[in-house]
Amino acid sequence: MSGVKNEIQKSMENIRATADMKRNTLFYLEAQRTKKNRSILQHKQNMALRYAMAVICIFLLAGAGGYQVYRRPVSYISIDVNPSIELAVNRFDRVVSAKGYNADGEDILQHVSLKNISYLQAIERLLQDAYYSRFLNRDSQLVVTVVSEHSDVMMEQINENDSFRALDAMTYSSDTACMAEAHQHEMSFGKYRAFLELSQYDESITVEDCHGMTMGEIQNRIRKCQGHGGGSKTTEKHSNGHSGRHGHH
Amino acid sequence: MKSTEDVNRVMEAYADMVRRICFVHLKNRHDTEDVFQNVYMKYLLYEGSFESSEHEKAWFARVTINACTDWLRALSRRKWVPLDALAEEGTVLDDPSKEVLEAVLRLPEKYRDVIYLFYYEEYTAVEIAKILGKKENTVYTWLSRAKDILREKLGGEWS
Repeated sequence: MSGVKNEIQKSMENIRATADMKRNTLFYLEAQRTKKNRSILQHKQNMALRYAMAVICIFLLAGAGGYQVYRRPVSYISIDVNPSIELAVNRFDRVVSAKGYNADGEDILQHVSLKNISYLQAIERLLQDAYYSRFLNRDSQLVVTVVSEHSDVMMEQINENDSFRALDAMTYSSDTACMAEAHQHEMSFGKYRAFLELSQYDESITVEDCHGMTMGEIQNRIRKCQGHGGGSKTTEKHSNGHSGRHGHH
Repeated sequence: MKSTEDVNRVMEAYADMVRRICFVHLKNRHDTEDVFQNVYMKYLLYEGSFESSEHEKAWFARVTINACTDWLRALSRRKWVPLDALAEEGTVLDDPSKEVLEAVLRLPEKYRDVIYLFYYEEYTAVEIAKILGKKENTVYTWLSRAKDILREKLGGEWS
């Protein structure tokens, strides 16, 4: 059968891949290689872009979540002289909003920025402000009222402030129900608490009456009703320890 | 993906074999060029490695046969005889070679493969069985039947 083998081999010998066929195939393969590499590169870039987008999304979500937590108030502080100002405080003790509850309060907030600082800094800034100081005279009464689960701690910290103590200011705590009721009357909850206290002694007093009174005037009326008389604020001031003296309503 | 150096090397080593396997299966040069490119494309993308040059050569033979079969199946041209291809090669073949080739190309497709691999590439029946994924006895049977047909057609030394 070797003859057959030779014949088959001979017949096939001239069937060869042409130079064109080889060259075209090599061109084709190199083009495919380039295309493939580009597609791999593009795929990698796409993957990198997707990862980056995912990371950005995570950061945005975390940031948005964090911002929501930051913005959510958990405590409220009402600062009343005649200007009535309420501060909303987040869980990090930062002031997230400030609102004036009368014309003087709104006016003060036009001049003093109290947001995004700690509530202690906000109170300090307010007391040091020249414009606000105009309201702090001999006849005035600074009252700070706190609504918080940690009102005791907050009042204690506020009372440690030297400026606050120098003014012989008073601190009270209140609750969210009292605060909601106050807001229905367009009144700060600190002033409303004082109104509720006064109304225990003087049933004729109305919220409208209190709207036109300063905190000094309300406190004097309370002291008079309590029988301390005189209107002097030097000895009867509740400068501390009024935690739990919630308004009754 | 295989390197450019590897592709150049296997192009030099197996291009003629791939071309001949295509020749015994396909109708014309255009189909041959397409399948030829497909085979080398498969090599470019092949992730495996070869134990030896024999292993690599057998891989090319198997892949080329499969590529031709797939190509024909796709075109539903399984029953034709690739005589057009022979006509295209006419200028480079002398008359006796043409006669032998014509007889080979007239063989049923499965016989063409075994005849080519056995006589030209000098693979044993055992090796052909591995390349084609068939039983050894099947290869022997096909070889025997192919030889009978060629003997009948060509006479002479084939007898």
